[in-house]
Amino acid sequence: MRHRFEIFWHLFVASAKMFIRDRSAVFFSLLIPLLIMLIFGVLNFGAAAQLNIAAVDQASTTSSAALVATLEQTPGIDLSQQGLDEEMSLLENGDRALVLVLPPGWELLPPGADGYQPLTAYLNQAQPQAGQTALLLVNAVVAQSLIAAGGGSPEPLIAVQEVEGQNLGYIDFLVPGILGLTIMQLGLFSVAFGFVQLKRTGTLRRLFATPTSPGYFLSAQVSSRLIITLAQTLILLGVGLWFGVQLVGSVVVVLALALLGAIVFLAMGFGIAGWAKNENQAAPVANLISLPMMFLAGTFFPRDAMPDFLQTVTTYLPLTYLNDALRAVINDGAGLDVIGTDILGLAVWAVISFVVATRLFRWE
Amino acid sequence: MAVRYHRPLMTVAAPIIVARDLRKSYGELRAVDGVSFEVAEGEVFGILGPNGAGKTTTLEMIEGMRPIDGGTATVDGIDVGSDPQGVKARIGIQLQASAFFDELNLTELLVLFGHLYHVKAEAATLLAEVELTDKARSQVRTLSGGQKQRFSIAAALVNDPRVLFLDEPTTGLDPQARRHMWGLIAGLRERGHTVVLTTHYMEEAETLCDRVAIMDGGKIIGIDTPGGLIDALVGRGFRREREERLASLEDVFIDLTGHELRED
Repeated sequence: MRHRFEIFWHLFVASAKMFIRDRSAVFFSLLIPLLIMLIFGVLNFGAAAQLNIAAVDQASTTSSAALVATLEQTPGIDLSQQGLDEEMSLLENGDRALVLVLPPGWELLPPGADGYQPLTAYLNQAQPQAGQTALLLVNAVVAQSLIAAGGGSPEPLIAVQEVEGQNLGYIDFLVPGILGLTIMQLGLFSVAFGFVQLKRTGTLRRLFATPTSPGYFLSAQVSSRLIITLAQTLILLGVGLWFGVQLVGSVVVVLALALLGAIVFLAMGFGIAGWAKNENQAAPVANLISLPMMFLAGTFFPRDAMPDFLQTVTTYLPLTYLNDALRAVINDGAGLDVIGTDILGLAVWAVISFVVATRLFRWE
Repeated sequence: MAVRYHRPLMTVAAPIIVARDLRKSYGELRAVDGVSFEVAEGEVFGILGPNGAGKTTTLEMIEGMRPIDGGTATVDGIDVGSDPQGVKARIGIQLQASAFFDELNLTELLVLFGHLYHVKAEAATLLAEVELTDKARSQVRTLSGGQKQRFSIAAALVNDPRVLFLDEPTTGLDPQARRHMWGLIAGLRERGHTVVLTTHYMEEAETLCDRVAIMDGGKIIGIDTPGGLIDALVGRGFRREREERLASLEDVFIDLTGHELRED
């Protein structure tokens, strides 16, 4: 027993050492996800919900200046005030949702009043949604100013009550997705390519020439990848926290999920590696599994945005279960009652992958 | 007529390898078709033959690397069919295309292979034996062809094997590296290792082997000492069409380029 464990242990250490020394493996399993986090985290796409509106004040009257100032202070509006030509070309390029022109001599007057002039709003036909939203917002601001100027109450017509809630940014959505994605990539690719290469070059055959059963090597490879997955998850989660991700749930549960996910994708990876004769056979299959999931399993964007039937289908993807569970634990601190279905889904996928892998596996 | 006496080695020493009527088929193809031979302890035994003759398959069945379809093989008294792992523990194998993990250096690889035999490998001693001491911290991929072959012999020696199997140890090497390998194999024989090797090079077989078996179409079609096989042919009236020259082109090549290894 001790003898067996020693052999396993030496192979385990060697497998881990080989993984860490393999630059491309480290690149794909750590640097790429960090880079994705950095890009999406710094750009902070989720927060970019500001409407870019331009005001061109050709009136230069007290009331026109007051309106521009009000617009500038309105939340949700990012106001720009360059010349008409510049703003129009920015509008055409899609960089402005609306360009508001205050014509010469314009005063804040109700329609029908003496000297009343309408404001002109230019919209981009190609971006009707942003344009219409901006138009509503500008209309509301003008109407409100008019009411205030006419001696009416400056209070809004609708009273707003804000409820305190979690302020979840895009980074909170993204980091659990990146964790799920890297767990999948490590399981599928580090094995599918690394192991197939050992098979093709005859390195595996050389191991068969020793009295140690190849099963030891296989279990050492699997366990080293599981430990590496845990380390990778901790590192990425740490960087995520540094980026301001709110970790509500328990780290232990996150690691347990990472382990379960890694088992599913490692089984798939070994299935591919066991079936393929060389890297050229393994690559398309690994990509065929990973690429659709990368985009359909709610890694970068919520699945709510997809058509209904696609939402239904993608519910059952292994990466969807993993992403949803990780997100529920990290963002909401969910317990087993919430992520039970996801765990069950992952377990079913683990069994399916394991059975298929053992059927397909060939040592040579 | 000259009478040839068999070397005492062949009749006195107990055979360390006994192959009896070995058979292996791939579909219709009979890759190995009833091969029988014995190898005495301490001898260098060569298996010669064209590509596809069944040399490698025969070796792999005896090594426990490939299931035996028919017949039996014993190595050091252990039946390969019933205890392949027991045979593997007692032998050292150099495969035709030997590849090792890229990310480990030579010392780490030898230590790891030692663990697979459950022995503590003396990496430095093994590397010194194959003259790779200065490459102890290098990776296999940075070695030249000859160095790779030498390293795979070092890896085959980690368990101090009773029998060493070398599958085409000099194929693809330049004349200098090949001669260097010959010296290494002769040294192994002197230290008491039994060596079974396959080769395409007749000169190599003549220089290194105590006995050779010639295989074709999955059968052994001749087995004797190199001298015995040549005498038998000459005895049947064979004469070379051209007078034997006193030197070969390879002798010229070695004379001009020297014995120095070209690999660094």
